[in-house]
Amino acid sequence: MSGRRVAFWSVFTLCGMWLQSFLPGVDFLAPGLILSLQEEKLRTTLILGVIWLFIQEGTGSLAFGTVVLWYGLLVGLFFFGHWLFEARNFVFMMILGACLGVLHFGLMDVMTQLQDWRAAPGRVLVESIVQAVVFPVQWGLIYIIHNNLPHNGQNI
Amino acid sequence: MYLGVFTWNIRTGYVDTLASHTGLELTRWVMTPGRWVWTRLSSFWERYVYFVGVRQENETLREELAKANDELVGAREQASLAKRLTDLLLITPPPQWTREASRVIAHRLGPNAALETFVIDKGRRSDVDVNTPVVAPEGVVGRVLRASMNAATVIMVTDPNSKIPVVSQKTRTQGILVGRGSGQPMVLQYVSLSAQIEPGETLVTTGLEGIFPQGLPLAAVTNVNREGASLFLNVSAQALFDPKRLEEVALLKKAPPAKPEEEEALPDTSTKRPKGAADRKGEVKKRGRNEPPEARSQEPAPKKKRGEGQ
Repeated sequence: MSGRRVAFWSVFTLCGMWLQSFLPGVDFLAPGLILSLQEEKLRTTLILGVIWLFIQEGTGSLAFGTVVLWYGLLVGLFFFGHWLFEARNFVFMMILGACLGVLHFGLMDVMTQLQDWRAAPGRVLVESIVQAVVFPVQWGLIYIIHNNLPHNGQNI
Repeated sequence: MYLGVFTWNIRTGYVDTLASHTGLELTRWVMTPGRWVWTRLSSFWERYVYFVGVRQENETLREELAKANDELVGAREQASLAKRLTDLLLITPPPQWTREASRVIAHRLGPNAALETFVIDKGRRSDVDVNTPVVAPEGVVGRVLRASMNAATVIMVTDPNSKIPVVSQKTRTQGILVGRGSGQPMVLQYVSLSAQIEPGETLVTTGLEGIFPQGLPLAAVTNVNREGASLFLNVSAQALFDPKRLEEVALLKKAPPAKPEEEEALPDTSTKRPKGAADRKGEVKKRGRNEPPEARSQEPAPKKKRGEGQ
């Protein structure tokens, strides 16, 4: 990764973490993972994925593994959608956001039951809806920012 | 000719009068508006200069006011912090427990934050471990769920997974206090129908779960009623702290037992070490420091006859 790329992803990570403290239960780093996949630089995606995985797992309250599934399924959904749709289409991002919302609700339900915990379903439902809305909007914003950075326009 | 007109004017004053009525009058009509304009202009200028000065002064005063406001806000914040920290310091830890203040740095973070938790700035480096009780000046807040070197996640008592045995302070009614999530009243379970519990009573910890010290206030009973064919009373309670206003908390940690050297040194006023003291000291070390001193004293000490081993 070049210095600019490192700076961009560092700022993105810091902003994402700060935003997560304002909207609990919502992943503000997931759109970055998709953007990184769209760059088609697997090494960068892998590094970012591992770092974010540990951030999300460390700050969460469930046992390790939920975020592995979360990011794993997100990547799987992206590649599946990539096969069907244009990967940089906003509508595709909206579909991906809706899938993430459903995924958040399902994963929380399954993982809390597996660990014999209970989570308030109403609150998780609200978080899922917010996640579904936030994801495409945030992706659009970082796509524009990233695309307008010097020497980045041709990469995506 | 000139001298003639000059002398004639001196004697009669006609030319002077004519000059006065023409030239002077014209000058007056010319000068008066000019003077008016000049007066206005100078007045405007003076006011402009004055207003510029006033504006500058106003800006200076505004800056000073903003600075004073900042200082006031800072002072109020400091006063609020001082009050909160004083409240924290006023928490008297139960015997054999110590208290350590900690700052709340974030509430639930990320998609994996399923439980009602918050993050504090103390971790294993400060001897914070899983299940360390966390309290606020109002009462029990929760316990540590997971800890890293310099941070820890605390699960609040309002979380649905929190189940704490409690007893009401006045009528000594026992039950299990269960959270219902953020903003929801807690529920006191397994309270018998004959219990005399009343709204307004404070629920305190029993210490039966082995995590919280006994007698810490936790919640206040808000509602007591009976529903259907249930064998238990429906008791609602409200946590004593406000999760949204939580900024500082105190961690309760079990105090390490007194050092064996100190225990032995206190009663012994003589300078001569009693016989066999070295052996007993060795035994204490073998048993470990976490064992309570009562357990040590209950064990029979090796009896030695006077003069034995010499």
